[in-house]
Amino acid sequence: MLAYAARRLLVSLALVWVVATLVFMVIHIIPGDPAELLLAQGGVAPDPWLVTDLREKLGLDQPLMTQYWTYLGGLAQGNFGYSLLDDHSVADEIALRLPRTLELVGAAALIALLFGLPLGVLAALRAGEALDRLLSSLAALALSVPVFVVGTLIILVLAQNLRLVPAGGYIAFATDPLRHLGLLLMPAITIAVGLGAVVLRVTRGSVLEVLERDHVRAAQARGVSVAAIIRRHVVRNALTPVVTVVALHLGALLGGTVLVEFVFNWPGVSGYLVRSVESRDYPEVMGIVLVISSIFVLLNFLVDLLYAVIDPRVRHG
Amino acid sequence: MRRDKLRRLALPASLLGAILLLALAAPVLPLGNPVSQDINHRLAGISAGHWLGQDEYGRDVLTRLIWGARVSLSVAVSATVIATIVGTLLGILGGYFRGMVEIGTVRMAEIVLCFPPMLLALLVVTLLGPGAGTLIFTLAILFTPTFARVAYAETLSVRALDYVTAQEALGARSGRILLRTLLPNIAPPLIVQFSLTIAAAMLLESGLSFLGLGVVPPDPSWGLMIRGARTTMEQAPLLLLWPCLALTGTVLVLNLFCDRLRNALDPGTGGRSRPGFLRRLAVLAGAAEQPAAVPGLLAVRKLTLEVQGPTGPVPVVRDVNITVAPGETLAVVGESGSGKTLTGLAVMGLLPAAVRVTAGQILYTGRDGRTRDLLRLPERALRALRGRDLSMVFQDPASSLNPLLRIDAHLGEALRAHGQRQGIAARVVELLRNVGLPDPESRARSYPHELSGGQRQRVMIAAAIANHPRLLLADEPTTALDVTVQAQILDLLAGLKRSEEGMGMVFVTHNLAVVAEIADRVAVMYAGEVVEEGPVAEVFAAPRHPYTAALIASTPEGDAERLTSIPGRVPQAWAMPEGCRFAPRCEHARAICDQSAPALESPAPGRTTRCLRWKELA
Ligand code: SF4
Repeated sequence: MLAYAARRLLVSLALVWVVATLVFMVIHIIPGDPAELLLAQGGVAPDPWLVTDLREKLGLDQPLMTQYWTYLGGLAQGNFGYSLLDDHSVADEIALRLPRTLELVGAAALIALLFGLPLGVLAALRAGEALDRLLSSLAALALSVPVFVVGTLIILVLAQNLRLVPAGGYIAFATDPLRHLGLLLMPAITIAVGLGAVVLRVTRGSVLEVLERDHVRAAQARGVSVAAIIRRHVVRNALTPVVTVVALHLGALLGGTVLVEFVFNWPGVSGYLVRSVESRDYPEVMGIVLVISSIFVLLNFLVDLLYAVIDPRVRHG
Repeated sequence: MRRDKLRRLALPASLLGAILLLALAAPVLPLGNPVSQDINHRLAGISAGHWLGQDEYGRDVLTRLIWGARVSLSVAVSATVIATIVGTLLGILGGYFRGMVEIGTVRMAEIVLCFPPMLLALLVVTLLGPGAGTLIFTLAILFTPTFARVAYAETLSVRALDYVTAQEALGARSGRILLRTLLPNIAPPLIVQFSLTIAAAMLLESGLSFLGLGVVPPDPSWGLMIRGARTTMEQAPLLLLWPCLALTGTVLVLNLFCDRLRNALDPGTGGRSRPGFLRRLAVLAGAAEQPAAVPGLLAVRKLTLEVQGPTGPVPVVRDVNITVAPGETLAVVGESGSGKTLTGLAVMGLLPAAVRVTAGQILYTGRDGRTRDLLRLPERALRALRGRDLSMVFQDPASSLNPLLRIDAHLGEALRAHGQRQGIAARVVELLRNVGLPDPESRARSYPHELSGGQRQRVMIAAAIANHPRLLLADEPTTALDVTVQAQILDLLAGLKRSEEGMGMVFVTHNLAVVAEIADRVAVMYAGEVVEEGPVAEVFAAPRHPYTAALIASTPEGDAERLTSIPGRVPQAWAMPEGCRFAPRCEHARAICDQSAPALESPAPGRTTRCLRWKELA
């Protein structure tokens, strides 16, 4: 188990390095001078003095390899550089905002699993019946509504028309735990709608597939009750693909919270990213992309570990 | 079936067509200019000139909605077309040349997948600035790897096809063959992926535009319209609703189209609608309880099973009669497809959902001396019998054990299911020792994959006898095992007959050599019917059915090979001969054999045969 974990960790670290290198390359290899691109607002050619200034500030006047090593060295020390606009440390800003985004994604995943898993199992056991068709149609609808539409409509109905909840915002947990959770709930539900539909679909398919396996029939031949078969022989075996898909979607969500954070004014890392993109503050953009991508990779690492927990064959394999 | 699938495709396809048409026709429709403002009438409601009202700049909402479709769709479609072409090319190249080329194409493209898609899109927008061109470029990059993967996988599987390899070996120009074979194979998954990607691209495009990082105002785009309407949500909530509906509706139609298209392209029946096990559909009408006890242990009478064929129900087991007395072992022999396994599963009430019991009785006389018809016994009552009175050992021990559960969990649940609560751990070890598993204490804590095939089958047998069953059904229990292990398992089963007093056994096999070794009586099945039954020694000495005779003749002494030497094949269930089902392969067949189906006759006490000419041939 330990050897397995160590192996997976090494692969993950290598991947993080690849991502870091790629982010570096994207900025430096594509044609056009980053400094010029950054300053060229509205198609007006930038002042050459400013460009030279910026190049120096960013170290762009140095050879590419030197820049690359400086960049990697910085990363190793947790230094992501400084904002072009206000010289704030990118790492500090991320450290402040990332937990909020992770909290949001975590809450969304929890809600999605809470509903998606049991409903998916139910749909599979009732496959072809009215209930299954209803659940599957709902899932199809949920998958087709863009997340920002869900969020906007929730605000329109619940906050604007019914005045049940505030239209968004953020209050630190330490300040007021209850209101913090209340504000967390709406964006989390918004994300959970689509994610829950995915979980439902995958669970349904996976359970249907497991139901056809020999060991289910063998358990039945031993006289085990249906409830126990579903619990011990079906759901647990059906979990692996669900874990994979949820993890992949969680990764995608780390970027996808952009929209929800924007809609609900949730001051996570994504809003910060959008602001950086708008102002083309590329140390900020690079830092955020790198951090989120690394989390994405880390998530995949955790999934691999989870596999090993679920399936003993992986542990020994 | 296929027609039905195509019909289901019609609705989403026509809706999709309508949306596309509307978007294409936008310039020729009698619509105003989508960007011309009318500040005096900002947020005006629905009027004759403005069917959906006017937005925050007084622009006509309907016009912007239709033009928005045009913008959103053209961005999504162009990006998808580019991704399809580039991705497919990369995939085919990578799959064809493999090696370094594969790394340079498919693997390179897959790096994109290291990034969350929205994030990568934002990264590109940072560098290139917002706009439709950037959007198309970004989306194309994002979706290329998916197409590369699909094309790569298909290329690999086509390359592996026998005739492609053969033609290559004959020196044909491999590239041409590959393309000719590949294109028809690759088209269906690509078409499905294409429409899926358009939906995904629309979602991303609208999301970016909503953030103000996609389509640049004043051009209309649904995402931008929602963004704009949000600011005036309090005064004009309807403004928000229209683009939301348009966007969701279009994506929904696209997704629906994909689902049904995939179904229509799927050569299988598509969408398994019934869960395989766990649901026993057929409990025959009538009382299970029999008025008079039937002697013996098990009596299957006139059992007939059907499956739903392409043109109607097809009988797969017909009129089968078998009996088992306490302590007796009955071997059911036949080639695959003879219905022997289905007969065994019918006794357990574990038939696959596709198989239906249409007639017959399965009479089981329990410990209480009462006889019940298992086909008419409610599921609850039958479950109480399974694993306690009736047990089954399956063909493949590897797949019959749950890979995620320890051995003791399998045995423990068999005990617990029938009321045992105490001393389970000790009993599990005892059972494992009884079936000859070395080191049972530690084996009990192992996972199935840590055991050998033979050990796994021993575990299955231990689970089957955990509650001292009265009838043990063994369905080809040695077929999946090594030859040397087969003999050990047979010895174990033979030994059980001595230790489990009075236990009857039904041993399903295709191997006559095994029959002679283990069984008291034998029932020979052919094409869903029992063609001969009787005591093993008598049947082997003097078979009364030509099929049995052919089987015996084709079985080399002591060998466990498959029966292959009878010429011809078992007829398909939907194309059964009118008369004797064995006639096409029978060397003694006469004209009469094609005309009337032979009835079951008794050539000697305790023996039956289903041959018209048994007397002449005896
Ligand atoms: S009935 Fe005729 S064809 Fe059938 S087994 Fe007997 S001899 Fe052969």
